[in-house]
Parts: sequence; structure tokens; C-alpha cells
Amino acid sequence: MFEKVLIANRGEIAVRVARACRELGIRSVAVYSAADRDSAVVRLADEAVCIGPPDSRHSYLNAAAIVEAARQTGAEAVHPGYGFLSEDPDFAEICADNGLVFVGPRPEVMSALGDKSRAKALMAEAGLPLSPGSLATVGTAAQARAVADEIGYPVIIKGAAGGGGRGMTVVWSAAEFVPAYERTRIAAQAAFGDDRVYVERYLTQARHVEVQVLCDGYGNGVHLGTRDCSVQRRHQKLVEEGPAPALSSATLDALATTALRGALRVGYTGAGTFEFLVDEAERFHFIEINCRIQVEHPVTEMITGVDLVHEQLHIAGGVPLRLRQEDVRASGVAIECRINVEDPARGFVPTPGRLTRFVPPTGPFTRVDTHGHPGYLVGPYYDSLLAKVVVWAPDRDLALGRMERALREFEVAGPGVHTTIPFARRVLEDPGFRKGRYTTGLVDRLLGTADPPGGEPSPSSSAIPMRRTR
Amino acid sequence: MVTVSPDAVNGVDAGAEGDRTELAELRRQASRLLAETSGPLRRIHLRRGDAVLEIEWQAEPVTPGDGVGTSPFDVAPVPAVPPSNGTVREEDVTDVRRILPAPLVGTFYRSPEPGGPPFVEVGDRVEAGQVVCIVEAMKLMNEVVAEQAGRVVEVLVGDGDPVEFGQPLLALVPA
Repeated sequence: MFEKVLIANRGEIAVRVARACRELGIRSVAVYSAADRDSAVVRLADEAVCIGPPDSRHSYLNAAAIVEAARQTGAEAVHPGYGFLSEDPDFAEICADNGLVFVGPRPEVMSALGDKSRAKALMAEAGLPLSPGSLATVGTAAQARAVADEIGYPVIIKGAAGGGGRGMTVVWSAAEFVPAYERTRIAAQAAFGDDRVYVERYLTQARHVEVQVLCDGYGNGVHLGTRDCSVQRRHQKLVEEGPAPALSSATLDALATTALRGALRVGYTGAGTFEFLVDEAERFHFIEINCRIQVEHPVTEMITGVDLVHEQLHIAGGVPLRLRQEDVRASGVAIECRINVEDPARGFVPTPGRLTRFVPPTGPFTRVDTHGHPGYLVGPYYDSLLAKVVVWAPDRDLALGRMERALREFEVAGPGVHTTIPFARRVLEDPGFRKGRYTTGLVDRLLGTADPPGGEPSPSSSAIPMRRTR
Repeated sequence: MVTVSPDAVNGVDAGAEGDRTELAELRRQASRLLAETSGPLRRIHLRRGDAVLEIEWQAEPVTPGDGVGTSPFDVAPVPAVPPSNGTVREEDVTDVRRILPAPLVGTFYRSPEPGGPPFVEVGDRVEAGQVVCIVEAMKLMNEVVAEQAGRVVEVLVGDGDPVEFGQPLLALVPA
């Protein structure tokens, strides 16, 4: 096991990793940008190194600065968290070249799986079902259009190098196809430096279900069940729960074992997530693999009792997987609400500002992962995620009641600051959500019936909208 | 020790003798690329096996002093902490002192080569743009230049010491 690990991230996930290190007796090194000088992880970690200015391109995305910080402090491994450099095979390789262990899959595996088109081909070989569409990327508008016409509309055009819900366009009819195709290519080129796209069927009434896996470097692997992440706004997840509700246990088992087969087939190591779309008939199709710890990983931790970050560190440290499949026992239901500093009444625009009040919920079976505190300045530079509220209960109804109670307790206030807490409460009140019968269309349906923007006057309605930075 | 500008890509450390031809070729290719492309580059990634070539541009021009700007979210500049050995005289810690911060994480060097004379000594007058020290990061020697003319009143970091981004390196009094 490692003696010292560098955390190449910020916010709540950096705090999460620092805690795991402390619990395992590993010394931790935080790296931070000049904007995060007073952040929670800087206080929690054993050491901290300022690696650059607020602009993440020169700090949290600056591989050279991170490697230098590791060298200066004598860290043996780098935990990349999620986002930033977590799925960058080049960074993983740079770490290896500098004698650092990257906590994640091997660079060549990450490189193959990060390319959605290659990942689909590999998973098709492993026997995973794919949704109808182009297996390979489509080179010309005419080719792409032919694929779309064959599978039938609506279709979705996705960037091969995309991820995190960016670089996708839904096309509802043949007439819209070619302009949408060109737009997506340009957007993909700008966002990912890669304009290859592919086309697949777009399921309007689908659930987004994912499977958590853990694999070591010796060919052992386990799955840790499912999470439903269908509550999304523009492909950004807002509420997650596990296990996926209202699916038969046969379907849940099939999803989990299929994902694990795919992971073992490609020599995956560490914690990973396999994403699937599940239709009304419970048919499922593989979408992509996330080669990192995910934001919603606490859902799985709550229902299995397995600390995924501990396991990541053990696996990266070369320890054979300590779990067999029969050791993984899921019980009860866990729900997570992401609390973002955004205003749902104004299209979820980020609303940075200083928190004058910050009282997270506590109480039984209630977990809050956050880097927030009273006086914390939510800056405009980074992701707007402030906290994750996660609850567990023996059954889903109790879990819903517990989450409602927790959100009611959560107090966040500051000049100009809004949060997604009221919106999360609306999701919990929705009859479809309560029954566990919901799809990726839920949020749009709620927003369609929402009060018109500006309907809730607030003293801070003049706050300047700031764009999300990643 | 070779000193190259921070933006150059030819600072790759030559390894074994056999790599030199390959390295020279890579450098030539990279230099040519640099000459042919326009706009500020973020990264060039060349690889020979399976022939990969990636060029990444800056999304927007990066201004010097990035991070010590003017938005309401801006971070207070790093205070010039006097060293604990008490060599700082009271009159030095005044408004006239200008602190030169480290532009990146790395190792601080006062001279262009080990054992060589330092770029500057306390009391020296420097011109704007003059190289005053080096911060080495990943085997790249990054020259740090004075932003304005002045007199060096203190060197705040020991030769060979690790520095973090924004750490005060030198104190100058504007001329």
C-alpha cells in the first residue's frame, strides 16, 4: 500500500479522497489553484501545493505542475477524482513515466474505452448488446444520414471523443439531420479536438441505468449492482438511486453480469461504470464506460457497505481484490441528490457567491459529501456541484421520506446564491418518480410544467449569469 | 544545463545515446510545426509508433498574471512573508517592494548552471524583461523575467528549493 498519495482534483471529491487516505493511514497531498487556497481539502490533507492560477487549464489540467508537486512532496500515486485529468490516457502515461501510480485503468485500456466508437466495438465483441446505429464513426453527412434513415428517427449524434453529456445532438426528423450533423462535428472538434461522430437510435422513453464494477490487476472482478441515473437535465444527472427501481431482478442481474463480463474482457482495472439505456420492455443497450470514480458512487457504497475509494487505492497499490462476488451483498435503497449552486428558475444558470449560511443535514442514514462551509466563496471557475446528499433506508418509500426530511433541513444562503434543493424536492414529489416509473424525460416534463422563469422574484435576480467552466 | 523558453517544446531531456537521432528528428518536426501553426498552442503530442500527432490550441489567449486579475472572485495576491531568519529590515517591507512570484510549480535556481554565477545579486539593478532566475519543472528550464526595472532587495528562496505557484521569489524596488 502507498504511504503518500497526491489528490489531483478539487471540491467534494478531493475531500472524499483525502478522507479515504486518512482512514487507511496514507498521507495525502492536496494540489490547488490560487482560487482554492482556502478550500476544505487544503486543510484536511497532510500537505498542500499551489499548482497554478484559477483557470483550470493552468492548474487542475496542468499535468506538469501536478507531476512536479508529486515529485516535491514524494507522493507515490495520483488519485485523479472525476473530471479534469481523470480519463486522460496521456496523463496516466505521464504519471507512469515519472514513476507515479495513476489510480485508474491502464492508459491503453483507458484510451480504447475513452473512444466511444472503439469502446462499442470492444463491447460488441464481448457480447454486450448495442443500440441500433453505426458501430463505427460516420465519415460523411450522406453516410450518416443513410444510417439514420435506416434505424429510424429520432436518432442521436454523438462525438466519439465526447463524454459527460457534452457533444450530442438529438435529431427528430430526416429534414433536420444534415445541419445537425455538421453542427455536432464542429462542436465536437471544438470541445474534444476530434470531430468524429457516430449515430444511434435515440430512445425517448428510456432509463439510464449503470453498473459499478471493481477489477484488480490479476483478472479478478466483481460488480456492485445498479444505479438509476435517469433524472437528468441536458445529460447532467441530478438525482441517482440504487438499485434501479421497477426493473425485474432478472434484468438487474443480467445488466450487472454483462457489465462485469465486458470489464474483464478488456482488462479493466480499478473502479469503473458501465452505462446502459433500458427501454420499456427492459431491453438494455450498452452506451459507454466511465473509467473513473463517479460523482454518484456513494449510492453504491450505501447499499453494499463497500468503500469504493478504499478499494481503488488497494487495487492501485497492487493488492488483489479483497472481495469475491458472494461477498458483495446489496441491501435496501439509497438515493443521492446533487446540490448545485444554480438557479433552476433561470435555466440552471450557475449562481456563484459567498455562502453566509451553510447547514447540511445530519441524522440517521444521512451522508453529505461536500466541500462547502459557512463563509465559503463559490467561485465562477469550476463545476457548480456544492454537495451530495445521500440517504439509505431498508425500502424505497422510507428512503424517499428520509431524503425529503434531509433536504428540508439543508440550509444554504448567500447573496445571489441559489441551489437546486427546491428542484430536487419537486422531483421527489413527482408521482411518477415516487412510483419508480420514470425515464430520462422526467426533468423536461417537470420543467415544462414549471413556473415561468422569473416567476419567483428574489432579491438576487440581478446576479450576472456565469457559464459553467467544465 | 540548457536554458530554453517555457513555450518551446525542444526541452526534452536526451536519454541514452541511441535516442539522440530520433530526438533530433522530433525536435525538428516540432519546431517546424511551431513555425507553421498560428495562435498560442497548449500542447503538442508527437508519437512515432502508430503515428500520433496532436496539436491543442489555447481556447483563448492567456494573459500574463492570470489569476492575479480583477474579478470579484479574485484571489488575494500572495503576501510577501518575510523569512524567519530576520534579515529583512523594516524599511524593505513597505509598499515600494515588488514581489516577483513563481509562475509555476518547480525547482528554483539562481544561476544558469550549477556552480555558475547567479543571474542577479541583492543590490543589482535589473531591466524589465531581464532574466532573474529559473524555475525548473519536468526538466524544462523556465526563465523568470523581471516585469519592470528595479533593484533587487532580497532573494526569498534558496537555490535548488522547491517552489509552488505564486510563491514569492524575489523582492525588487522599482527604479
